[in-house]
Amino acid sequence: MLKIENLISGYGTVQILNGANMKVDAQSVVALLGGNGTGKSTILKAVSGLIRTWKGTIEFDGEPIQNLAPHLIVQRGLVQVTQGKDVFPAMTVMENLRLGGFVLKSKQKLNDNLEKVFEYFPRLNERKTQLAATLSGGELQMLCIGRGLMSNPKMIMLDEPSAALAPQIVIDIFKNINRIRKDGLTVLVVEQNVRMALLLSDYGYVIKDGVINVEGEAKKLINDKSVEESYLGGTRANV
Amino acid sequence: MSNFLSKINILKLGKRGENIIFTIFFLIYIAWCASSPDMNIESLKGVLTIGISVGIIYGLVALGISLIYTGLDVVNFSHGEFFMIGAFMGLTTFHLLDVDWIYDVFPESYGWVVYVVCLFIAFVSMGLFGVLIERVFLRPLTKKGGGYTVAGMGIIICGFGLSVVLINFAYIIWNPVAKPFPVDLGLPLNIANITLPMTYLWMLVVGLSISAGLWFFLNKTKMGLGIRAVAFSKEVSNLVGINVPLYISIIFGIACAIAGIGGTLVGPTYQVVVFMGYIILMKAFAAAVVGGFGNLPGAIVGGFTVGLFETASSFYISGSHKDLYAFLLMIIVLMIKPTGFFGVQVKMKA
Repeated sequence: MLKIENLISGYGTVQILNGANMKVDAQSVVALLGGNGTGKSTILKAVSGLIRTWKGTIEFDGEPIQNLAPHLIVQRGLVQVTQGKDVFPAMTVMENLRLGGFVLKSKQKLNDNLEKVFEYFPRLNERKTQLAATLSGGELQMLCIGRGLMSNPKMIMLDEPSAALAPQIVIDIFKNINRIRKDGLTVLVVEQNVRMALLLSDYGYVIKDGVINVEGEAKKLINDKSVEESYLGGTRANV
Repeated sequence: MSNFLSKINILKLGKRGENIIFTIFFLIYIAWCASSPDMNIESLKGVLTIGISVGIIYGLVALGISLIYTGLDVVNFSHGEFFMIGAFMGLTTFHLLDVDWIYDVFPESYGWVVYVVCLFIAFVSMGLFGVLIERVFLRPLTKKGGGYTVAGMGIIICGFGLSVVLINFAYIIWNPVAKPFPVDLGLPLNIANITLPMTYLWMLVVGLSISAGLWFFLNKTKMGLGIRAVAFSKEVSNLVGINVPLYISIIFGIACAIAGIGGTLVGPTYQVVVFMGYIILMKAFAAAVVGGFGNLPGAIVGGFTVGLFETASSFYISGSHKDLYAFLLMIIVLMIKPTGFFGVQVKMKA
């Protein structure tokens, strides 16, 4: 579904990605792992069009999407959910969700999607008239994922859904991601929480210094020593 | 990013101290005005009428400045010129409509039918002109780094340059002679012993409906939702699928359209001159600061405050320094409460 080949990109004149190769099959969950500053988020930004692709190709659904305007990428059904706190705090939960469905043309579709999101996250339904600024960390993450689902995407990319959340809430969020996948979406999850992400996903990539260092089936990667080594200098990540 | 005005808090008063000092200032000011020999009920009526109608004009221009500031993070110093060109567009439309068959079709209501068309043309043409200016002159500047941020100093300087260019542009087309805008809106209205010229009434009604319309547009429509999203964060707006460059143009266009309608509203009361934009920009800037920079209802309230303060002071304190009072009020507000009446202290960014 998503195919990244030899991706080279960065910020300004600083090159971060040095030719990354990745493939995400339809209706699978793929984990992209790596420590701080290895280029995980940069890949997502390049894919969703926030930064320019210097070289290489990004294909989505068989069509090249590199250097397309971000809103066109969203219209094609590829949505990025940024790290937890990127909501519009001065707007209500409802308005945030409606913004998620901004690319939808019909009102009927919007309402259908709203119902679907409230089914995933009943908590948001309870709080739909509250300002997003008043939500807790976990609820903000739910709102972000819910907002991503509002536009009927084919594939959703999650940037550290577990960042700065209590373990119990992290498990909740991951359960929901699993449900989303079972409903037929493709998921790319960028994580620092290695074990949790690998338990959830089918396939994993470990990125180091802007290139994919290790890749393989998630079940194998969990017990792979080289994952630990390339990740945080070998410290064991615990759940 | 914090509001740049909150950094110049000189007196460092708490919220309560601010309120107390404001009240004291206000009482002294009232007492000063009241002790004036000109103080009587007749003059007070005049001051209120003029103050409020001038205030709504300051408010409209301030609304545009605030809208551009919230949306683009840039203070547009050429906004007064959009006001001036809007007035000329209204005047030109007025002269073009000065033909016999319109008299024949609307024998009774000719004056205001034509005026409504003038306002509409000024609104639409300045909106399109604003989009053009944004696309042609401001947009290329953002590509050189900085983007639409306070850091993009080039755009602010460009605003000053654009102002000079637009004044001379108007100078070539309409020449520098002050022109009357002789629209016939009917006899003055008498409400509760206050004689209200129709032009003032139009200013007030159209000004308030524009602000109410803008509120409705921003809060109740899908496009308004998008504008608020873009104003808050361009990156997140990109990710939810909003066409951010288009929305930036729309924001600029709306702000310019409102300024244009303000120019056409002022025209009949005063005169239409090439240099009318400069002073209105400064007064509107003062109004925006007083109301709270970047706050839209604050801009209207600030406009009323500056308008009333200016008119009352020039009536009761000294008429020879009319243009001084708006800036005096701005300095006082900046010293006591730098964020203005409704100032947003912090624009929260994740």
